[in-house]
Amino acid sequence: MKKVKINHNSEFEIDLASLLAVIMKLVPVLLLSSAFMQLMVIETDLPQVVTQAIEKQEKEKKKNVLVEVTPERKVVITIENDGARSSVTVEPEKGAIDLLKLQVAFREIKKQHPDVFKIDLSPAGDVAYSEVVKVMDEARRSRDFNIRFPIKDEKTGQDTTTDYMFPEIIFVNMMEG
Amino acid sequence: MGRRRRFTMDVKQNSTFALNIASMTDMFMLILVFLLQNFSTTTVEINPIDGMQLPVSNSYKNPVDVLQISISQDEIRVLDKVVARVQSRQIASADIDPQDSNFILPLFKELQERAKDPKAKKGDEQDNGQLLLQADQNLPYQTLRKVMYTASMAGFPHVKLITVVGN
Repeated sequence: MKKVKINHNSEFEIDLASLLAVIMKLVPVLLLSSAFMQLMVIETDLPQVVTQAIEKQEKEKKKNVLVEVTPERKVVITIENDGARSSVTVEPEKGAIDLLKLQVAFREIKKQHPDVFKIDLSPAGDVAYSEVVKVMDEARRSRDFNIRFPIKDEKTGQDTTTDYMFPEIIFVNMMEG
Repeated sequence: MGRRRRFTMDVKQNSTFALNIASMTDMFMLILVFLLQNFSTTTVEINPIDGMQLPVSNSYKNPVDVLQISISQDEIRVLDKVVARVQSRQIASADIDPQDSNFILPLFKELQERAKDPKAKKGDEQDNGQLLLQADQNLPYQTLRKVMYTASMAGFPHVKLITVVGN
């Protein structure tokens, strides 16, 4: 029987022209529809359990957290719990808001009041918009994703955790003169 | 003496050559992957004003298709229409209502017209009084507060702040 001889060292070329033609058509389409600057909005994407907890807090309204940013960039957090008031002050660092200390302060308050999801924000008039956004960022969720806060799913009754701290932020001094 | 023959190169007119496009394909594949990563899936078109610096935030919520207000260092716009002026990071006094120092009269009129005009409405979102606000990060809060105050008076109490993704 005759043995078929296969040359294992043979070379062949793949015709890439058609592939290139497809890519050439895709590139202009993607170039036109690409977003080179990612723009987002500040409004939290809340899991269902967090939304329910906010609704519950709205109904009960026993606790209130007020965050004031002074012209000296001092942040005063006042917690009102059944008429009792306590406050935490975060001193500025080199004339700017100390965001690290602020994050720690928010975490501590959240640990003490895990059922609170809404805060009232009252920045002074001369505080820059970028600083207001930074304070909102610190309040919204924990920077350390390993730190999670207990939350109860109102529908199932099961205990779970979330990294959200105070996702609902309301500018309380909007109507002030 | 015979004439010297002119030198001519021996070129085969019917010859073909294979162009190596492998490296070019590699390059295009890289561009394709990069562009696919940046591909915008949202239908909302946001055009920041030249020179405007948006604040950086860690929010990852996509914008919705609602009415847009932009506040730059020079002016306030509703979509592309300039409605009020900004001078030294403050709303120009000519645009402020003399009865209420927080009320921007031309902005209120424009927003009210937009709220009434069914052609200007963009789906159900506008019915809920939602508004996209893009503002320069260096503006003071009191300038923004006046815009938000006026917007809520005009029937747009739900303001969404546009930010740039970052940490």
